[in-house]
Amino acid sequence: MSRARSYLWFFAKRLGTVVFALWSLGSLVFLMIKVIPGDEAQIAAGPDASPDQVALVRQRLGLDASVIVQYFRFWGRLLHGDLGTSITTFQPVLLDLERTLPSTLELVVVAMLINLSVSIPAGLIAAARRGGRTDGLFRVLAVILGGMPAFWLALMLQYLLAARYRLLPISGQNSYGMEPPRWTGVPTLDAIAAGNMASLLDALTYIVLPAAVLAVLYSTQIFRALRTSLLGVLESDFIMAVRAKGATERRVLIGHAFPNSINPVLTLAGTQLGAMIGAAVLVETVFARRGIGTYMFNAVAQKDMYAVLGSVLFIGAIVCLINLVVDVLQIVVDPRIRAAQFGRS
Amino acid sequence: MMMQPNPAGRPAPVPGEAPLLSVDNLCVSIRVDDRSVNIVDGVSFSIRRGERVALVGESGSGKSVTARALMRLERRMKATGSIVCDGRDILKLSDGEMRRVRGGTIGMVFQDPMSFLDPLRTIGDQIAETLRIRGVSRRDAERKALHILDELKVERAAERLTAYPHEFSGGMRQRVVLAMALIGDPRLLIADEPTTALDVRVQDQVLALLDEISRSRGLSVLFITHDLGIVAGFADRVMVMYAGSVVEDGDVYSTFAAPRHPYTRGLLDAVPRIDRDSDRLASIRGTPPHVFARPQGCPFHPRCDRAFERCVIERPVLRELGGMRVACHRPEPEAAR
Amino acid sequence: MSLAPAIRMRTPRVKISFQGACVSLLIALLVFAALFGPMLAPEAIYRSDILSSLQPPSAAHWLGTDDQGRDVLWRVIVGTRTTLLSAIAIVTAYSLIGVAVATIAASGPRWLDEALMRVTDVGLSLPSMIVALGFAAALGPSLQSAIIAQSITGWPITARILRNVMHQTMEAPFVAGAHVIGVSRWRLMTRHVLPNSLDVLIVKWTSDIGGTVLILSSLSFIGVGAQPPSTEWGAMIAGARGYVSTAWWTVLAPGIALAITSVAFGLLGDMIQAWRDPSLRESR
Repeated sequence: MSRARSYLWFFAKRLGTVVFALWSLGSLVFLMIKVIPGDEAQIAAGPDASPDQVALVRQRLGLDASVIVQYFRFWGRLLHGDLGTSITTFQPVLLDLERTLPSTLELVVVAMLINLSVSIPAGLIAAARRGGRTDGLFRVLAVILGGMPAFWLALMLQYLLAARYRLLPISGQNSYGMEPPRWTGVPTLDAIAAGNMASLLDALTYIVLPAAVLAVLYSTQIFRALRTSLLGVLESDFIMAVRAKGATERRVLIGHAFPNSINPVLTLAGTQLGAMIGAAVLVETVFARRGIGTYMFNAVAQKDMYAVLGSVLFIGAIVCLINLVVDVLQIVVDPRIRAAQFGRS
Repeated sequence: MMMQPNPAGRPAPVPGEAPLLSVDNLCVSIRVDDRSVNIVDGVSFSIRRGERVALVGESGSGKSVTARALMRLERRMKATGSIVCDGRDILKLSDGEMRRVRGGTIGMVFQDPMSFLDPLRTIGDQIAETLRIRGVSRRDAERKALHILDELKVERAAERLTAYPHEFSGGMRQRVVLAMALIGDPRLLIADEPTTALDVRVQDQVLALLDEISRSRGLSVLFITHDLGIVAGFADRVMVMYAGSVVEDGDVYSTFAAPRHPYTRGLLDAVPRIDRDSDRLASIRGTPPHVFARPQGCPFHPRCDRAFERCVIERPVLRELGGMRVACHRPEPEAAR
Repeated sequence: MSLAPAIRMRTPRVKISFQGACVSLLIALLVFAALFGPMLAPEAIYRSDILSSLQPPSAAHWLGTDDQGRDVLWRVIVGTRTTLLSAIAIVTAYSLIGVAVATIAASGPRWLDEALMRVTDVGLSLPSMIVALGFAAALGPSLQSAIIAQSITGWPITARILRNVMHQTMEAPFVAGAHVIGVSRWRLMTRHVLPNSLDVLIVKWTSDIGGTVLILSSLSFIGVGAQPPSTEWGAMIAGARGYVSTAWWTVLAPGIALAITSVAFGLLGDMIQAWRDPSLRESR
């Protein structure tokens, strides 16, 4: 098979997997709607709805038809972007989600940056001092931090750093009056776009704690993966050859071992991106950021089922798409994976 | 037929000149479960300037570990004794001084060129690195790299510099590894089975190249191999290692004509030869002992036809014997056959 | 030069490390608390006593009292049973699903293997906590819902790992040999392949308890799992959330219990793995 065709085949297969995943996700959500106890129309219309309104919703959702017909109509609505209407905001759920998504993405991206900028140096240092005290300390820290529930860590740090010592704002996204004009919905980006440094700094003080809390668990994973990978590479023959040239350990580690170890770490970081969106839900609610997590949390509290399940569907779909993009990016960026994928077969 | 060594055929020893490398009672040990095991067990030898010495032995005999210990490359093992190279004791150098020796005074060539090259760096980068480490500018280092590749008869060397290891053939990679070792202009080249991973035709090319380069540069070479066939054509002297110690050390002609140690004789008998009329190939019975289970007394005694009680009890030391050194209580007769 | 064979030949000495001792102690404590905690706890922790609410740690209440005036430490101890039992139920349930999927995939025809693995891939690509959240919310927020939701979403990783192990075992020479002498496929699976996978399963099961406890508490915290009067640790934190700035101890204790549990079971999994697989011991 020619290289171009094998590429095309690869992307087609990936795309097929994603379509299958999205279809499964949608069907799962349909199943969820069906297992909700009680009258579906009443749930969709909200507990306070009048009988007339319930009847209207029943008719609009086509709940009198058979389950199979309902299933196809459900997909018909999904494909038109109709995730139902929230009974608390009285808005289409999709519209609510679109408004809250940027804030969540901002949190995840900043958390990822913190994650990598802590775990990569830590992994390098630990591998360089393998078996030493620093290595031991870092490994113990990774185990302990990796076992902490994110929402609890969020609460405790919020109490300590924000409430008690007032180093950082307690919750929210901006101080009153510091909000940049909404453009992307991402406070930091909007502040940059508006050229407002004060507003940017303000937004950063609000995001640093939530993002750091979100980063903790994932940075312990990256730390461990990088350390293991580095230790493996440091045992390989070519590292001995580099040492035989008279290279310093620093040069051996950063110039040769690190580039050869980074691949599994990047793969892991790619899968983390999706998982972090899920975990952001927990952190957001603690810090009252206007993201999907907080929206979902409120929807659960209000028994706003269409908003909850719409969020599940939306987050699931975004995670699927991110996984696809990460997969494809890896192939495009890394010539070695390309060779492994297309060279051998 | 009796074959007398021909003194005119090998370089005359220069009296009074200090050897380039002299190793005295080198032991290399590794810790396993709180006890220490000697992998190399009291090895002593020296190499003169311009001399080419082959270190021969089966796998597990400790020859590679000896070679790496000379460069202090076995980080998990502990070396004792002394290794004096160019007037300085390697085992007493600071880490910084040791780095200057690696790639400077001593260059090293490894067995499998593919696994000893960084897959993510260009060939040019990797050859020049030895000089870059020493503060040479990128331009000068690359010019020198080009020069070395030319010297090693690599065609279209300038284009090759920007290629990656996986784009090269085995023989070409071995030349690259050789260039990496030579670019620092070493006095001693340690070649750890440099031809083992190559096919026979390429082996010959690399050997011829090594022969030529070492001659023209006056390099001392320590050539580690398990292939006696290679030794005969290349080395001035041959040392045979068995179970962590040198059992025989002599010039190539005498040793091949009349080995004094039963193990060396066994190895030589196992080499197929067309000039000798025999319908079967002799082989040494048994297998070499594992590092952790080396026998008492002479380590070779369980496999030796000439062994007697003393061999079981007392370990023979390397001693002078008719111009050679042999570690055996009952050496083969001087005039063989 | 390879040293590995000689090392393996020597009989492994039972050497109790500091870490091993700590983990064993923690696990013993947790098991003890789960078994006897509810029996030993004073009746008062089930009643509210508004007069003594939100008291800081003292001799009478080592970790203070919560908003209902109940002793936080005793509630955490009592909660061990709820939390651990729920996690064990979840991991056992989805491990069984995983074993079933893996066994069918590994022993069935190729197309079935392919199909099941594609489904597993989908399961892996979806954020499992979010899907579990959806199911739990749909079933009506309660501890049972959270348990069911996690049980039906947790299996893909186990299934994938086990299926790969089974495939490897089936390629092993002794299995091929057994096949040649006419051992049936079913017998091969149950007598050879499954026991071989058991090691992997046990390690996975143990390490998963820790992660499952965290997800379970997260679901309670979001509000789709156990509800506040419950002593499940996540629910305790959710209930105490509003008092964090006035009574930090109400949040501190259940969180530390969660962290200890997840760390202890994670390390226990590592220890079992190292014990079953000597080649790992050297690399640490």
